Amino acid sequence: MGEEWAVKAGGLVKRFGDRRVVDGVDIAVPTGAIYGVLGPNGAGKTTTLRMLLGIIEPDEGHRTLLGFDSPRDASDHVGYLPEERGLYPAMKAREAIAFMGALRGLDWKTGRARAVTLMEGAGLGHAVDEKIRKLSKGMAQLVQLLGSVVHQPDLLVLDEPFSGLDPVNQERLEKLILVERDRGATILFSTHIMSHAERLCDRLAIIAGGKRRFEGTVDDARGVLPQRVHYTPHRPDPAIRGVLPPDALPDRDGWRFELPGGGIETLLVRLIDAGYGISGLSIERPGLHEAFVRIVGQQEA
Amino acid sequence: MTRFRRTLRQTFTIARRDFTATVFTPIFLLFLFAPLIMGAFGAVGGLGAASVTDGAQDKAQIIAILPAAESRMMAEADTQLRGIFRPGEGPPDLTTQPAAADPAAQARNAFDRNDIDAAAVLYGPLAAPQILYGPRGDRAAGYLATLAQTTLAAQQAGGTLPPIDVTKTRITRSRGSVGGQHQSAFFAVFGIFFLTLFLSGQVVGTMAEERNNKVIEVLAAAVPLESVFFGKLIGMFGVAVLFVAFWGTVVGQVTTLLPAGAAAAIGDLRPAVGGPMFALLFAGYFTMAYLLLGSVFLGVGAQASTMREIQMLSLPITILQVAMFGLSSAAVSRPGSWIATLAELFPLSSPFAMAGHAANSPELWPHVAALAWQALWVTIFIVVGARLFRRGVLQSGSARPFWRRAKPH
Repeated sequence: MGEEWAVKAGGLVKRFGDRRVVDGVDIAVPTGAIYGVLGPNGAGKTTTLRMLLGIIEPDEGHRTLLGFDSPRDASDHVGYLPEERGLYPAMKAREAIAFMGALRGLDWKTGRARAVTLMEGAGLGHAVDEKIRKLSKGMAQLVQLLGSVVHQPDLLVLDEPFSGLDPVNQERLEKLILVERDRGATILFSTHIMSHAERLCDRLAIIAGGKRRFEGTVDDARGVLPQRVHYTPHRPDPAIRGVLPPDALPDRDGWRFELPGGGIETLLVRLIDAGYGISGLSIERPGLHEAFVRIVGQQEA
Repeated sequence: MTRFRRTLRQTFTIARRDFTATVFTPIFLLFLFAPLIMGAFGAVGGLGAASVTDGAQDKAQIIAILPAAESRMMAEADTQLRGIFRPGEGPPDLTTQPAAADPAAQARNAFDRNDIDAAAVLYGPLAAPQILYGPRGDRAAGYLATLAQTTLAAQQAGGTLPPIDVTKTRITRSRGSVGGQHQSAFFAVFGIFFLTLFLSGQVVGTMAEERNNKVIEVLAAAVPLESVFFGKLIGMFGVAVLFVAFWGTVVGQVTTLLPAGAAAAIGDLRPAVGGPMFALLFAGYFTMAYLLLGSVFLGVGAQASTMREIQMLSLPITILQVAMFGLSSAAVSRPGSWIATLAELFPLSSPFAMAGHAANSPELWPHVAALAWQALWVTIFIVVGARLFRRGVLQSGSARPFWRRAKPH
């Protein structure tokens, strides 16, 4: 492939009526990365993905997919799992996967053979010849996911892939995403469940209100918030408040506050000198969930 | 792989899915045998055929090639004899002509005229007349013989009817009769109407499946919507062809069991372009009629969001088809008229009217142009249907009209 960016989009705008659902979003997904698009419900994630794939056309902006200016030209190299899952209920699972491969240029025979291998790998070997209507929702969802990778795409786009899956199938899906990444595929997925993004993403974008609010690594996102200090003195004394930073709040047997800008050392010296001592001290980095809430909350404020 | 080949492959992937998903169901058997219920349409066709036959009757004539004096006497005899027939059951109108240098050639040429349909032609002396007659013209020939005898008796002023020595010869036309061409035209129009009425309406609900089970999102991401639409149309056309092949075979086998004379009962069906070419054009126009109406129904049906809406579409669909049938029937009974031109040009009636045109006129180039014109409109209907679907159902379009989008906010 040789492209630096699997996906590159700038200034994407989409209006539904007078509402700008997506309002100038830029996205650049490095080739070979796992990239998350995070955002609350109604943020514009799905609309953004649909514009990237050419399902709908943006009102403004431009995008390239795998180096192609038109998403249609890249379609044989792209796999897609839409937010609203959909399969033909009367099709057998193997046929459904082969059909999705055929839509992307894979011949039926190879598609059927790969479908069996993929289903056995995903623990669904027993359901190869079952009709979709007889599968559970989670199984059908996995079948559709397998259909989106059967042609071994260079770019896999997954819209809320974890929603509706039980924990076991969520773990299967995480493994499958990592397998695809190891195969060389670029993964772009949307979610509002932070734990998956935190574990999987090399980079992520946070979208809220149709605008991109953040872009960077998971560490960059967590860096948006200051680290938090949990301090426990030797003895409880309300007067300690005069020594602690103004944002300090009581927390069980100690105090919790943001790490001061100049570091913790000066504060610790003052606490020791005042005779409070240090019974416990921990400095914690905030999680992606907190960072997400802060970033999205700023927009909503 | 080129974009065209990829598009073609994707189109046939959709077609294959739709074809197999439709044929391999129990419902398809119900559909296959539905013509038994649809026999009522035969009555409709019969009424139309009767009107065409009436039209053809106006052009049918019997001709007597005689000297002027005998012509007058024969006309009087004809007036007297015609009174014994009930209205509508009499022989064709009598026309008399003076004899040319070669009355035999003159009589034979009368069968090749395209302004009249000569049922039988008499020439030669009344005592030993020669009578030529065409298909279904034997009764007319007998009537001419009786007229000759009556006229001869009148010449002899009250004597007994003299015996005459009649020679009747059945001839084969070098071209189809005007009435036969009109009948062929009507059968073509009705045949295509019947098949498309029965088959193309199925297309209206096909997009509902994808909408209901959300597969449309998968298809729209992988395949151009135009390919989705065209693929579905081809898939359903495959179903229609299978249906026609099945029933064509059944009807063909039944026809072989009919008595030999039965074929003559349906008249002198000789389309102007010739039988084999007519069959080819019929197939072509059936294809185009199906694709044209199917693409319109597909586009309209794709906008419907519930089965109820789709069911409600069936009435306007039927009305549209019957309207096209009516327009085309009017066109084939008046070849060359403004209404015929209108029907031949209007995309949805064009296949019907042009099939009728093939029966009435021998030129082939209009059919090449017509098929290209109809194919163009199939493309237009599919593209427009896909765009409306993308804009309305996939919500791809902006609510702002294009002339307002350029304005800054």
